[in-house]
Amino acid sequence: MTISETFSEAVSLPNRWINASKNQGKKVLGYFCSYIPEEIMTAGGFQPLRMRAWGCTDTPMGDAYMSSTTCSFTRCVLELASEEKYDFLDGLIAYNSCDQIRRLYDNIRFKAPFPYQYFISVPCTQTAVTLDWFNHELVKFKEDLEKHFLVSIEEKNLKEAIRLQNETRSLFERLYDLRKKEAPPVSGSEVLKIFLASVSMPVQEFNPLLKKQLEDLEKSEGLSGFRARIMLIGSHLDEPEFIDIIEEQGGLVVTDSLCFGNRFFRNQVDENTEPLSALAERYLNKISCPRMSGGQADRTRFIMDQIKEFKVDGVVIERMKFCPIWWGEAYIIRDELKKEGIPCLELEREYVLSGAGAIKTRVQAFMETLEGR
Amino acid sequence: MTEDKFTPYEEFAAREWPSDLGLWKNLLLGFIANMRLNMAAGAAETPMGEYMLDMFARIAKARLEGKPIIMHPFNYGPELFYAMDLEPLMQEVFSVGLAPFHLNEPYIDLANQMGYGDNPTLCNAQRPLIATHMNGDAPKVDLLFYLSAPCNSLATTYQVYQHMTGIPTFTMDIPYWSHDPASPYFEEKTLGYMKAQYKDLIPWLEKQTNRTFNPDRFQETMARVNRCRENIMEFNDLLKTVPCPVNSMESFSNYLAMVLAGGTEEAVQLTKWFRDYAAENVRNKKAGVPGEKLRIAWPYTHTFFDRDLFPWIEEKFKAVVIMDILGFYNIPPHDTSTLEKCFDSLALGTLDFSMIHTCRGPAEFYIDYLLRYVEDYRIDCVIIPMQFACKHAYAITKIAAEAVRREADIPVLIFGCDPYDSREVPSEEIRGKIEEFITEIVL
Repeated sequence: MTISETFSEAVSLPNRWINASKNQGKKVLGYFCSYIPEEIMTAGGFQPLRMRAWGCTDTPMGDAYMSSTTCSFTRCVLELASEEKYDFLDGLIAYNSCDQIRRLYDNIRFKAPFPYQYFISVPCTQTAVTLDWFNHELVKFKEDLEKHFLVSIEEKNLKEAIRLQNETRSLFERLYDLRKKEAPPVSGSEVLKIFLASVSMPVQEFNPLLKKQLEDLEKSEGLSGFRARIMLIGSHLDEPEFIDIIEEQGGLVVTDSLCFGNRFFRNQVDENTEPLSALAERYLNKISCPRMSGGQADRTRFIMDQIKEFKVDGVVIERMKFCPIWWGEAYIIRDELKKEGIPCLELEREYVLSGAGAIKTRVQAFMETLEGR
Repeated sequence: MTEDKFTPYEEFAAREWPSDLGLWKNLLLGFIANMRLNMAAGAAETPMGEYMLDMFARIAKARLEGKPIIMHPFNYGPELFYAMDLEPLMQEVFSVGLAPFHLNEPYIDLANQMGYGDNPTLCNAQRPLIATHMNGDAPKVDLLFYLSAPCNSLATTYQVYQHMTGIPTFTMDIPYWSHDPASPYFEEKTLGYMKAQYKDLIPWLEKQTNRTFNPDRFQETMARVNRCRENIMEFNDLLKTVPCPVNSMESFSNYLAMVLAGGTEEAVQLTKWFRDYAAENVRNKKAGVPGEKLRIAWPYTHTFFDRDLFPWIEEKFKAVVIMDILGFYNIPPHDTSTLEKCFDSLALGTLDFSMIHTCRGPAEFYIDYLLRYVEDYRIDCVIIPMQFACKHAYAITKIAAEAVRREADIPVLIFGCDPYDSREVPSEEIRGKIEEFITEIVL
């Protein structure tokens, strides 16, 4: 099996790494979004797993309890939870990522509870005051894990988990450096699979695999024949097939501003300070998600820098239907891109890929626009 | 109020009114027209009408005099702004004020055309703001202040407005946990967290406005807020009487007093008036809805586009809506004897403000409020007109309804609508649902 095939295998849930962890007696904890430090769970001997709703096809329970006008990701998770499809998880960690996630967590507590549930109150602004609050929330989270699972999360374990996760982040930086090449050796769809693997298997096993993959990619000739270099911007996207549609039309995704992308790995954790404070600092002040108020100018600057560094020809914004946060963010990004004369295509989508034909047609037209410039 | 009371406002609007407050002027004139209609119909008057006229005029005057105007959302009491001699402008006055005349619908359409959201995704309490700006109709304010709660939609639209206008903006993060030691969700840092943010806000306001925070003036302001809270708590207690001593609209007036005038002497007088009015009716055994037969809990906002809905419910079913979610202003007075205690009170007031208290944290905050509402006010049924775009509320309505049915054994009606846009679910359809529910299930 090639490394790429191995990463693909990790996309399904549960996968063989999760099963192996369970067989070793490890507890597996699901968590939402990119503001929860995996490091704390890793340091406690847990296997963290980023929540996805893989395999969901219909959402009658989600529609009934959360309304059909909430985002389909949250409805899908509730659906799978109610069908006990997450029974391999020993716990669930959530935070006020957005209104829909926090209410998903409420509905899960009421209608499909997990053996262990924990909620972190993550601030929506970046100040000294909010950092102090977030630090305190992480201390409480660590203590609760210790108390509930009767484990001790030592400072040395936290430091080792930070070192491992920093290594992961560095490897992703290397991967992204390769994507800057005239002929990037890897497609956007393949990169998404690597991200999905990174949040679905033990970091100790993932890092050597990615290292090896990078060595192979560094020697490869790179991809050719694409029509345009694309930056993909949006929220929770865990379907490589969505990117396949763009890439099959000749738009090679070379960089992004995605939860499974730049927002995941940019910014390292300081290894020379007290670990929980260092984690709070990194996770609150990293490249922000639009859930954060007041960080919009930095986010725009980051996008513009990426466009230059990766020689992007056009931007595709993918926006989950019924997501207020991303509609606002997309509006601002469109405005900023227009000012800079950068072509942009905005696609509304559901969590489970639907309307592939319509998306394909719009992407085709966008590619023609880019080529005609 | 007599006809000649309107003359100075109309003359002011015609003569000196600042040019960038055209939509604000239209709201004033619409409000006057509405008051005239009510007078002609012989409707009972409250002092809220005259206060609203003053408020419209005061903001125009502030603009003419160069007094800084600070825009804030509908779930925040402006006492600190008054204490710092700033002119607060509650943004949602536009969407709520224009809705009964269907005049925000063109702005909703414009927002759609601009690609800024749609009705089921972004709340139309804020979304027209973006369109009014694009149309040149939004007021030119000096500062913008908003909270991270109760919803993403609010914070998103304010952030977009900040982006479009470049207005200096302060965002306050609202924590998820409770400040109440009796709550299972108590977090002892909550109150200190809020106070620390206020201690960042004050120097920011000083810097932006060249004004100096005056501790004495602040303490006086908070003492007035306390008096209002005393009045409102008494009023809320009086509403537990059967029959309810006021009609379905009056509790909303207390909310208006606190969101528009909190910290001023006017708010003290307004809340006192409503308290006294309810007390007198209780003494006289006078019902707000004569022949009251049903008591309805309405734990969401009014359907603002249909101002006749509550009178229709009252008349058709002899039913009284005790209070909506905004009218549920349930903040006790606090000790304000020292400056530090005043900051405590300010922070607590922010955490407990209408809709913030019920919606900022776990679902239990909302469910507990609803169960207590049903029990305390001897409620016969619950009607929840849920806004499609209100993700945080809609997504827990069903578990809240299940709790009410389980704990109180009374029926609950939930239906989707847009309180700001009559075209989503029209009045006739809403009334049909309510009529069917009351006649087929409740009675």
